[in-house]
Amino acid sequence: MSKDSRWIPLIAVVLLVCLGAICVLGVVGGTSFLGRLTGTEEATSPEGGARSSEPDAAPQAATPEAAESPEDEAEEAPPPAPSADGQVLTVPGGDPPTLDPHLSGDATSAEYVVEIFSGLVTFDRDLNIVPDLAESWEVSDDGTVYTFHLREDARFHNGKPVRAQDFKWSIERACDFRTRSITADTYLGDVIGCRDRLRDNADEVEGVQVIDDHTLEITIDQPRVYFLSTLTYPTAYVLDQENVERGGRTWTDNPNGTGPFELAEFRFGEIIALERNEDYYREPMPQLERIDFVLTGGSRMVMYEQGELDMTPVGLNDIERVTDPTNPLSEELNSIDSMGIFYIGLNNNQPPFDDEKVRQAFNHALDRQRIIDVVYKETVPVAWGIVPPSMPDYENPDLKPLEYDPDKALELIAESKYGDVSEFPDITFHVLGAGGATGRIIEAIVASYEENLGVQVDVQQTDWATFLGDLNRTENPNQMWGGEAGWIADYPDPHDFLDILFRCDSTQNHTGYCNPEVDELLDQAAVEYDEEKREALYRQVEQTVVEEAAWVPLFFGVDDWLIKPYVKDAYLPPMVIPKYQYYSVEP
Amino acid sequence: MLAYLIRRLLWLPVLLIIVSFITFALGYYGPADPIAALLGQHYDPEIAARLAHEYGFDQPFLVQYVKYLGRIIRLDFGESIKYRNQPVSRLLLPRLLVTIQLNAVASFIGVLLGVSLGVIAALKRGKATDRVVVSGVVFGRAIPVFVAGPILLFLFARTIPVLPPGGWDGIFSRSAILPVLLLAIGPLAIFARQTRAGMLEVMGRDYIRTARAKGMREMGVVTAHALRNAFIPLLTILGFLLGSLVEGTFLTETIFGIPGMGQFAFEALGGRDYPVIIAVTLLVAVAYALGNLFVDLAYGFVDPRIRQA
Repeated sequence: MSKDSRWIPLIAVVLLVCLGAICVLGVVGGTSFLGRLTGTEEATSPEGGARSSEPDAAPQAATPEAAESPEDEAEEAPPPAPSADGQVLTVPGGDPPTLDPHLSGDATSAEYVVEIFSGLVTFDRDLNIVPDLAESWEVSDDGTVYTFHLREDARFHNGKPVRAQDFKWSIERACDFRTRSITADTYLGDVIGCRDRLRDNADEVEGVQVIDDHTLEITIDQPRVYFLSTLTYPTAYVLDQENVERGGRTWTDNPNGTGPFELAEFRFGEIIALERNEDYYREPMPQLERIDFVLTGGSRMVMYEQGELDMTPVGLNDIERVTDPTNPLSEELNSIDSMGIFYIGLNNNQPPFDDEKVRQAFNHALDRQRIIDVVYKETVPVAWGIVPPSMPDYENPDLKPLEYDPDKALELIAESKYGDVSEFPDITFHVLGAGGATGRIIEAIVASYEENLGVQVDVQQTDWATFLGDLNRTENPNQMWGGEAGWIADYPDPHDFLDILFRCDSTQNHTGYCNPEVDELLDQAAVEYDEEKREALYRQVEQTVVEEAAWVPLFFGVDDWLIKPYVKDAYLPPMVIPKYQYYSVEP
Repeated sequence: MLAYLIRRLLWLPVLLIIVSFITFALGYYGPADPIAALLGQHYDPEIAARLAHEYGFDQPFLVQYVKYLGRIIRLDFGESIKYRNQPVSRLLLPRLLVTIQLNAVASFIGVLLGVSLGVIAALKRGKATDRVVVSGVVFGRAIPVFVAGPILLFLFARTIPVLPPGGWDGIFSRSAILPVLLLAIGPLAIFARQTRAGMLEVMGRDYIRTARAKGMREMGVVTAHALRNAFIPLLTILGFLLGSLVEGTFLTETIFGIPGMGQFAFEALGGRDYPVIIAVTLLVAVAYALGNLFVDLAYGFVDPRIRQA
C-alpha cells in the first residue's frame, strides 16, 4: 500500500506538468509568432465573411454581429477617444481569400486588391470611367480596337516603370487556364484570344499587342459599349512578372503593385496594414499614411464606440438605436446605396410559376412597402424595378410597378390556368440559413401569401454553398428562392442586371425567364453607343421584366456606416472601387 | 509496456485512413461543391468544368482519394480552395497555435480549480461549502456561451471598460482573460463534479477506514488513498480534454473575435473547402487518439491491475 501511494503525487505532477508544458509550448510558440502584433487595435466582428465576400448576403441582416450585441439597449456611449494619430485609419476588414488581382472574384479580396494594384482605367467618385495607368485612349471606328497610351511616370512600388509589355504579360497570365482565374472569362473574354487561351488553345492572347513601351493595343471580338468598364476590374490589372514568378504560389506575400497603397503587413485573422505609396502617379494622391484593417472579430460596434475603430458598418440590430436622432451616434451615420437588389426568384419553368398570371399575383399579394419599412426600419428602399437607384446614368421614373393589390392578385389567379390556389402544387421557398430562425423578412413574406392568397408556402433553409450549387444546376431545382439573397453589381451598367439576369441563355438567369423580344432589345442595347437610346432600350426591358414578373423584387441594398467626425472626405462607393486615396484624418 | 505502446501507435495510421476516407466520401457525395462556392455569382458551367478539371475534381472518387492519401503521407495537405493557392498547413498553423494556447490555459485552470473544488466539496459533504460549490458549478455549466459571453463583454468591456471588447493579442494579454474564463468553466464543472463524486465513493471504502484506523493523518488519507482512486475516472475525461486542445470553439471565438480553429473550420465547411476540412478532421482525430493513448498509459501507472491485464 505504501508502495502504491508513492505514485499519487507523481501522477498528479506528471499530469500537471504535461498540461503546463503544453501551455508553455503554446505560449512560447504563440508569442514568437504573434509577438509582432504590438498595436492596440483589437477586434471587429467577422462580418467581412458574411456580408462583403458573399455578394448575395442581405444587407444588415446577415451580420453575425446580430447574434452578439448585448449593447443594443445601452443608450449612451463612453466618450470616444480618437484612435487616429497622424494619418492612420483603423477600419474593420475581412480575411481576403486572395490578394492576387487575377484570382479575386469576391468583394473582400477586391477591397484590398484595388488599393494595392491598378489597371488601365478606373472609376472616379461618380462612377465615370477615368484614366488610370492609361493616360488616354482611342477607339477605332468599328469600335473593336482600343489603343491605350500609358503614363510614362507610372512605377511599380519597387520603382520599376510600368510598360505595355507588363500589361500584355498580365492579361496573358489572367487568361491562362493554369492561373485558375474565375473572372477572366467575364472581364477579359471579349479580348480576342483570351477565351482560346483559357481553353488551352493558345500560347498568346492575340488581341493584346505592344506597339511600344507605352502604347498598348487591345482588340475585342465585336463592338461592346461596356468594354472599358470591364477593364476597371482587378482581373485586368497589371502585375510585375518578376514579382509573380519569383514569389511562386504565394507571391502575394510581397506584392509589387502600382496602386495608391502598398502592403506593409498581413497576418491572417489579425491585421492587414497598407502604407501610402509615396510615388503614386495620379491625383488624388493618398493622404493617409497607413490603413490598418483589423481582421479579428468581436463586437465592432463596441470597438467603434470605444474609439478603437474609426469606422464600422452598422448591423440590423443596431440600426434603430443608431438612427434615433437623440443618439449622438446618429450624426456619425452615413448611408450609401450599394448597387445590389434583393428579390424572390420564381422558377418560370416550374408550376405554379410557369404561368405569368400566378407570378404577377405573387407580386401583387405582397405589401412590400410595409414589410420592408417594418423589417429594415425604413432604412432601405423598396425595389419596384430591377436596376438600383445608385446606377449612374440610368433612371426609370415612368416604370409601372406591380403594386400591392390583393384583390387583383386573387383575380389573376382565377384567370390563370390553375383557376384556384387549391390547384397549386406544394410551394417551397428556399432561403439561406443554417437551421436557426429565418429572417423576419422571410416570415413576413410567408405570412402575406397565406393571408392574401391563402397559399401555404413552406420554407426550406439551405447553406450558402448548397444554395448556390442548386441555382447553378442546369435545371434549377428551386421553385421559389431568395429573400435575403440577391445580386450585386460587378460593373455599374444596367447590362449587369438586365442582360446578365434575364437574357434567355444567360448562365445567371436562374428563373428560366425567356422572352425573345427582350433578348432582341438587349442585343440592340449592347451595341448602342447613343446614351439616351441605350437607356430607353433598357427602360423598356426593365418594364417588360417587371410586368411579366420574372421575380418579386424586394429591396435595394444599403450600407450603413458609422464614421468618426475626424475622418474627412470619407467616401463610400456603391461597389468596390479604390476609395482610400480620398480619405484623410484630422489630427 | 513498450510493446503495448508500439501496438497502439501502429493503429494510428489505420484510424487516420478510416477517418480520412469517411470525410473524403462525405465531401465527394455531399451536396454542393467547392467550385460553385468559389465562383459564387460568377458561376458559369464552362468555367466550373475547367476549374474542376484543374483541381482534379473530375476524376473518379477512388483516384482522387488515393492521390490525396499519397500527398498526406508526405505531410502535404494541399492548397485551400477558398484561400486561393495558400497551402493548408500555412493557413492552419497560426490558428492552431492560438487555439492550443487558449485551450491549454483554460484547461489548466479548469482542471486545477475543478479538482480542488471537487475535493473540498466532498470533504464538506452536505455543508454550505458543498452546496455552494455544487450549485455554482451547475449554474456555471448551465449558462450557454452565447449568453455568458455577451454578458461578460457587456460588464467588463462596456459598463466598466477594463477589458478590450475582443480580439487577440496573445495569451498574455488582457484580451485573453474573458475567453479563458469562459472556456475554463467547462472542464472546471466536469472535474469538480467528477472529483466530488469519485471522492465520496472512495471515502466510504474499507481501505480508507483502515488507513484512518492505523492512525494516518487525514491529509495523507485524502491525498494518498482517496484522491488516487478517485482519479481513475478523471483520467478518461482528461484524455478527452487533451484531445480537445486542438479543437476550435466556434462560439467563443466568434463572440470574442479570436482567430482560432473554430471559426476557420466553420468557414471552410461553409465554402466546402475540402482540403481544409479534411486536414482539420485529421488533426482532431490525431489529437483524440493521442489523448486516449495517454489515458491508457496513465491508467497503467495509477492502477496496477490494468497494467497487468
